[in-house]
Formats: sequence, structure tokens, C-alpha cells
Amino acid sequence: MRKRSAWSSIISLAAASALLLAACGGGGSQSAGPAAGNGNAASPASAPSADVKEKVKGQTLNLLTWEGYADPLFTKGFEELYGVKVNPTYFGSSDELLAKLKAGGGSTYDIISPSSDVAQLLVQSDMVEPIDPAKISSFQDLNEKLRNLTDVQKDGKLYGLPFTWGPDYLIYDGDVIKEEPTSWNIFWDPRYKGKVSLWDDINNLYMMGQIMGLDKSDPAALYNMTEEQLQQAKQKLVELKPNVRKYWATAGELNDLFANKEVVLAVGWPLTVKEVNAKGRNLKWTIPQEGATGWIDRLMIVKGTQHRELADLYLDYIASPKAMALVAEVTTYSVANPKAAAHMTKELQEMTYVNDMDKMFTRLNFWQYVKDRARYNEVWTEVKTN
Amino acid sequence: MKKTAVHKKGMLLPLLLPPAIWLFLFLFLPYLNLFSYSFWKPGPFDVVKEFTLHNYAKFFTATSSGSVPYHVLIDTVELALVVTVFTVILSFPLAYYLNFKVTRFKQTIYMLVIIPLWVSYIVRAYSWKIILGTNGILNSAFIWLGVTDHPLDIFLYSKVSVIIGMVHIYTPFVLMPIYTALEQIPRNLLEASKDLGAGRFQSFLHVVVPLALPGVIAGATFAFVLSMGDFLAPSLLGGPDSSTMIANIVQQQFGTSNNWPYGSAIGIVILVLVLAILELTGRAEKRFSALDTVAMRK
Repeated sequence: MRKRSAWSSIISLAAASALLLAACGGGGSQSAGPAAGNGNAASPASAPSADVKEKVKGQTLNLLTWEGYADPLFTKGFEELYGVKVNPTYFGSSDELLAKLKAGGGSTYDIISPSSDVAQLLVQSDMVEPIDPAKISSFQDLNEKLRNLTDVQKDGKLYGLPFTWGPDYLIYDGDVIKEEPTSWNIFWDPRYKGKVSLWDDINNLYMMGQIMGLDKSDPAALYNMTEEQLQQAKQKLVELKPNVRKYWATAGELNDLFANKEVVLAVGWPLTVKEVNAKGRNLKWTIPQEGATGWIDRLMIVKGTQHRELADLYLDYIASPKAMALVAEVTTYSVANPKAAAHMTKELQEMTYVNDMDKMFTRLNFWQYVKDRARYNEVWTEVKTN
Repeated sequence: MKKTAVHKKGMLLPLLLPPAIWLFLFLFLPYLNLFSYSFWKPGPFDVVKEFTLHNYAKFFTATSSGSVPYHVLIDTVELALVVTVFTVILSFPLAYYLNFKVTRFKQTIYMLVIIPLWVSYIVRAYSWKIILGTNGILNSAFIWLGVTDHPLDIFLYSKVSVIIGMVHIYTPFVLMPIYTALEQIPRNLLEASKDLGAGRFQSFLHVVVPLALPGVIAGATFAFVLSMGDFLAPSLLGGPDSSTMIANIVQQQFGTSNNWPYGSAIGIVILVLVLAILELTGRAEKRFSALDTVAMRK
């Protein structure tokens, strides 16, 4: 709380008056908000922050993130706020993250953005430091389900700040398929022979598990499938092959597949719909009755970081509604702070489901760490080479 | 052979040393590293340095559930052979035509064949998507000509497109050695053959082909080895049945599967296979070029 007031004062000094208004407006709906909002500017609460500011001044915060997660649009505000520098490094896959982390560790990187497939591994392998929610003024604003996910908790401590999330949608070409599909089974429909695209990833096995109804009682079942279940999933995927045109490797490739009318059905992310429709097409997305898998990325502090204090300040900054809204603007991913809605356009609000997260979560099964990832990968390769 | 300055002892060493050091550091050592990795075990973050033959055993033994990289390797060899045959079929007549039929613009035409080598692989692969796609140039042309009434799927994201892409990309590699071999055929041999009463076809079959054979073998080896290690064409142009060749499996082990030891083991198997092929074709080349020198002597 003290942080936030200090924060507001600095921002107001920085002449971001609109931002201040919004921050107060946002706080108004929460009982805890106004007190913090009102105690700003000249109040003594800003004193310790001046100390902090003096302390971190001139430091460099090293981020190791997915591309788009260290965009100047939101890191610049942090740099100006504390007179520091943000130095981003990008990784292109979870495995690259692990490799870079192993090579550099806390002496090279301060904050990382692992996805839910490796987050638990990082926590269990003691690669990251616990974070202190009390130091993150917007923490209680973050979506409850997201901040209570247990995979990044150990011994009662929290290791990850929820950052962005999103579903793996069923995307379809509205010009070809007039009725909204209600089941993933439409992928196997002979009418769409050679018109389906799947992601080239073990995510397909989770999806098959979900279609088989394995996660009805326990969401984790998709990530701990038995050999027998994996074989069933494989069978389904092999049966799907005649309908598959191409396994897409990047979102850009999927965009092209839809844009060139190579496919009419696919698993994908909202960005595809936005970008292809910008060319005058009519793509739509839906979550079928079986549900959908989803992903969540968290920010974590690397064990042995050289800039712990600065890292805490960054987490505090990035969790704020305004910063989160900017993250959504850059990535078009959904963000963890519902209050970010106040800073978004109507279109972005709808696209990122910022106003009805909880409704979405009831239909999503967030990726978890797969203990036997190697076997999952093998099975997926067997599908492709069958 | 004439003795040149390079053959004097003092000059040879300083000339050979830099490339030798280069090869040692950036070729030999990495291979050695790969070799040792192939006997270790994968761990969550790094390899576990315990000796095991498991990686090799895993490659050669079929699992209960069917296909393993071993089968993919066989498929890959098949595909590489098909690509090789097509590149030779395309290259030989072209090289022959350039050498014996074209008089003007010979260099220009040769350059036109070579120029694609300067264009990025990925750009060329993407161009094929534009040509072969459902609404691509080829399908549009076919529909316009009335060959078919609906776009055909078979051209893109299939084995067909992978082969077309690879043949296009590796043809210059085959053309160049064949062209050089043909260029070096003494024209008086052809005249002699004519004088002795051989027809065009006979001359071609008994003079040109044998003398060009070393070039054909060299080119075919290029095409075969390069297409065996290609992972871009399958992943960019391949469909559900053709997106995974052996190089894709290796890439996967170093990427998503994070199993470097297994990837290394597969890499070593491919390396041994390729070295064996190089040795065989090298011998074949020598045998046929021996004919060549006999013919040249008088």
C-alpha cells in the first residue's frame, strides 16, 4: 500500500495525470484502494520510496522472456519511474529458456517468464526465488484463480506472479462453416478432409485427452496420461491425419494457412483471428463443449539474482492495471489483472476476456508440467511418422 | 606434375595450419563433443555424465507402439534417392545442352542456373507455397485450362511438394559438377569417335556418358547427402505424412524433447552413414576417372 501511494506520486510528478486519475478510479471500486490512492503526493509515505529509488537508480534489470513480454511500450514507464534500464533477452521455446537459465542463472538474468509447462519444474528444481505478494500493491486485484494456482507454490510460498494467459481455441472460417461448432469432433468430419490444421506440439495429446473426457474429475489427468490413454490419443490423432492439411509451427504460419484458404478449421490463438480478419476474412473462435486447454505465463525471480530489489519493484509495476493493459495491447494476450480493462479499448477488452475471466476459466484446462514429457514427445512423433 | 612453390616444405605448413586449426576447432571438436554426448543420459536441465548405450539401442529397437526414428531414417533415404534421381535427370540434359549446343550467352544461361543459390532457402521454399497452394498459380492455371474443376490438394503439404522443393534447391549442386565434367571432355575425342563411324547416339553413350560419370557421381552425392540432412523443406512444405524426416527428429531432440544425448546418437548414426556413402561414391568416382585419364593419355 505504501508503495502504491509513492508510486502514484512519482507518476503524477512525471506528468502522467491521466494515469493518476485512472489509478484512483480503479481503486475506487475496492475498499482498500481509496486509502492508498488518497495518501499520495506530499504524504510521508513517499519517503521510503525515495530511498528505494536512490538505491536502485542506475541499475539494469535483466529480463529473459518470450518475445513481446519486454516491449518498450511498458518497460519504458518502469525505466523512467526509477531511473533504471531494462535489458531484455528473448527465448523462443521453453527448452531454450531452461538452457539459457542453466548457462546464465541469477548472475545474468533477474526475471523470467516461463509458461505453465515448465513453471513447476523451475520451482521444484530450486531455480527461482519466492516472491512476496505484500510487495506487489496490485496483487489482491489479480484474478483469484490465477494467483492461487498451486503449481508455483512450495512450502506455503509463492514463486510466480500471474502475467498473461490464453486458451487454445477452436478457430473456424465463418464463411465456410456457418454454424458455430459445438464439439471438437468436427475436426474428424469427412467434409473437412485436408482442411484442418493442428499445432505441431504435444498440446494435441492434452486435447485428445480432453476430448476423451479424461479431465472431467481431475484437470491434471491430461498431463499424467497412462500409456494406454496415450495410445488411445495417438489413435485418434492418426485417424485425424487424412483431414489434416498441415501441422503449423508458428502462429504466422497458421495465419497464412487461413489467409490462403488452405484450411477452415484449426487450433490456435486469438491473434490469428484478428490478423486474418484484418484482411477482410471472417474467422471466428469458440470453445467447444469438451472445453479447451489453456496456457498461463508467470513472471518469476531467478535464484541468486543480483537485483532482487529492482525485480520486486518491476513485479509491483507490471502487475498494475495500466501496465497490464499495455501488455495486452502489445501481445493481445489476456492479462491477469481484471482492472486493466479500464485502460483498454472495447475491442481489446472483448478479445482478451478481461471482463469475464472466471467464466472462461471454468471451460479451460491450464497446461501443467508433464512429468513424462519425453514420452509425450515420442508419441507425438509417432503420430507424425505413422 | 610440376613442382610449384607450395610443395617446398617451408611454405606448406603456414598455408595449411590456419585451415587445419579451423577444422579442428569448429568441426572435429564439435563432432567429438557430439560423440561423447551420445553415450550419456538426459537429465532435466543438463546431461547426466554416466556411460550408457541406451541411446543407440533406442534408435535401433522398435517400440511396442510402432514407428521409431529408424523407420524415419529409411523413409528419408528413400526420399533422398528420389530427389537425387530427379536432380540428375534435370541436370544432365541441361548441362549437356549448355556445353554442346549453346554457343552464345553460354555464361549467361549458366549464371541463370546458379543465381537461385544466392537466394535464401526459406524465400525459395515460400515461393513454392505460392505456386503450389490451393489457390496457387498452378491450381489456377489448371482450372483455367479445364484440367480440373476444383483445386487439387496434392501439390502442397505433401511428399510431392517436399520433393519439388528439394529438387529445385539441389539441382544447381548437381549441375555444376556435371557441367565441369562435360566441359573437360576433349572435343577431339568426339571427332575421333565420329571419324570411326559412330553415330551421335553411340558417341554420346560410349564417349560422353563415361567421361561425365565422375561429375554425375559427385553431383548425385551432393544432392543425396544434402537432402538427407534437410529439415526445412519437410517442415515448411511437408504435410501430415511428410513433415518429419530424420533431420527433423534430430532437431526435435535438441529442441522440444530436450534429449541431447539421443539427438547426438542419431546424429552419429547419420554421420557414419553419410561417411560410408562418401567413401563409396569417392571410390566410384576414382574408378571412372581412371578411365578418363587412360582415355586422355593418347
